[in-house]
Amino acid sequence: MWANFLIGLREGLEASLVVGILVAYLIKSGHRDLLPRVWAGVAFAVLVSLGAGAALTFGPRGLSFKAQETVGGTLSIVAVAFVTWMIFWMARTSRLLQGVLEGRMATAISRGGLSLVLVATLAVGREGLETALFLWAAAQATGSSTQPLVGGALGLLTAVVLGLLIHRGAVRLDLGKFFRWTGAVLVFVAAGVLAYGIHDLQEAAILPGLHSLAFDVSSAVPPSSWYGTLLKGTINFSPKTTWLELVAWFAYIVPVLTLFILALRSSPTGPSKVPPTKTANIPASAAT
Amino acid sequence: MRQPISILTFAVVLIGCVACTENDKDSNEGSIKVRSTADACEVSAAEAPSGTVRFEVTNDGSEVTEFYLYGDDGLRVVGEVEDIGPGITRNLVVDVAPGDYFTACKPGMVGDGIRAPFTVTEG
Repeated sequence: MWANFLIGLREGLEASLVVGILVAYLIKSGHRDLLPRVWAGVAFAVLVSLGAGAALTFGPRGLSFKAQETVGGTLSIVAVAFVTWMIFWMARTSRLLQGVLEGRMATAISRGGLSLVLVATLAVGREGLETALFLWAAAQATGSSTQPLVGGALGLLTAVVLGLLIHRGAVRLDLGKFFRWTGAVLVFVAAGVLAYGIHDLQEAAILPGLHSLAFDVSSAVPPSSWYGTLLKGTINFSPKTTWLELVAWFAYIVPVLTLFILALRSSPTGPSKVPPTKTANIPASAAT
Repeated sequence: MRQPISILTFAVVLIGCVACTENDKDSNEGSIKVRSTADACEVSAAEAPSGTVRFEVTNDGSEVTEFYLYGDDGLRVVGEVEDIGPGITRNLVVDVAPGDYFTACKPGMVGDGIRAPFTVTEG
C-alpha cells in the first residue's frame, strides 16, 4: 500500500507543482478567463494518457520497451522547452503588468494562450502514459487485492492536494516574490526533467553512456524512501546520475538561471520598486 | 489549437508505429512469468525462441520492484519495466535476437539486482 502510494505521489507531484504555479500566475495577473485553457490542457492529457494506457494494457498491442522510453524521453525534452517558455513568459508579461502598456500585455497574453494549453498538457502528459500504465496494472490486480489501486490513487490525490497547497501559498505572495520563487523553482524542475529525458533516451540506447555514472548515492537516498520519492517527484533527483545527465543539467541551469536573474533585475516587479498590493490590483481591473 | 493537436498526433503515431509488438492474449504460452520477492527472482523459463518475448512480472514482495533484461555483457539494457508496486503485475515486451541474456529483479529499485542467465534460441 505504502510503496504504491509513493509511486502515485512521485508521478503526480511535478505536474501538480507546475500546474499549481501556472494557475496561481493567471489568477494573480487577473487572467482567470484563461484558466479554462489550462484545465482543457490538463483534461486532454489525462484522457489521452488513460486512453492510450488502457489500449496498450487491454488492446491487441502492447508498447515495446524502446518505444516507451523514446516517448517518455522525447516528451520530457519537449516539456522542458515549454516550461522554460513559461518561466520567461511570466517574467515578460509581469513587466508589462506594471500598467502603462495594457494593450501590449493583452497581446502577449493572447499570444501565450495556445502555449498555455501546451504547458499544461505536457506537464501532465509527460509522465501521464507511464502513470496510466501503472494505474491500469494496479486496476488489473484488483481481482486479488485492491491495495495497489487504492494506494496509487491516494498517492496521486496527495500530489494534487500538495499542488493545491503550494498554489494557495504562492497566490498569497506579492508579485515580486512570486516571480522570484516560482521562477527559480521552475528552473530547477525543468533542469530535472531534462536530465530525466536524457536518462530515458540513454535507456532506449538512443544516447550513449548509461553506465558512466557521475555519482551513485542510492544507499543514502533509496528511491523507495519517502524523501527519495519527494526529491524524484519534484526536481527529478536521481540517486544514480550519469555523466551525460549531469552535464545536461548544468548546461541548462547555468544559462537559464543567469537569464532569469537578469530578467528579474530589469523587471519593475523587483523588490521595493512597486507596492505589492498595487501590482496585484492593476491587472484585475485591466482584465474585466 | 493546432499545436497541441499536432503534438498529440506525433505521440499517437510514435506509439502506433514504433511500438508494434503483439499483445495477443491467446499466445500467452509464449509469455514468461516472473515472480519478484525481497530475495528471489523466479523466472518460469530460462529460454525462449527469438522474436517477441513477453515477461509478466508479478511483485510478491513488499517493496517496489523493477525487472530488467540485459544483454550478454550484463550492462546493455534490452528491456526494463519499473514501478511494479507490491501486488501488481506488469509486462515487459521485447523483441530479442538469438543469444545470451540476463534477467534481473531489483527489489527496492537499487543495486545490480537478482540475476539469472537467459537464453534466446533460434525461432
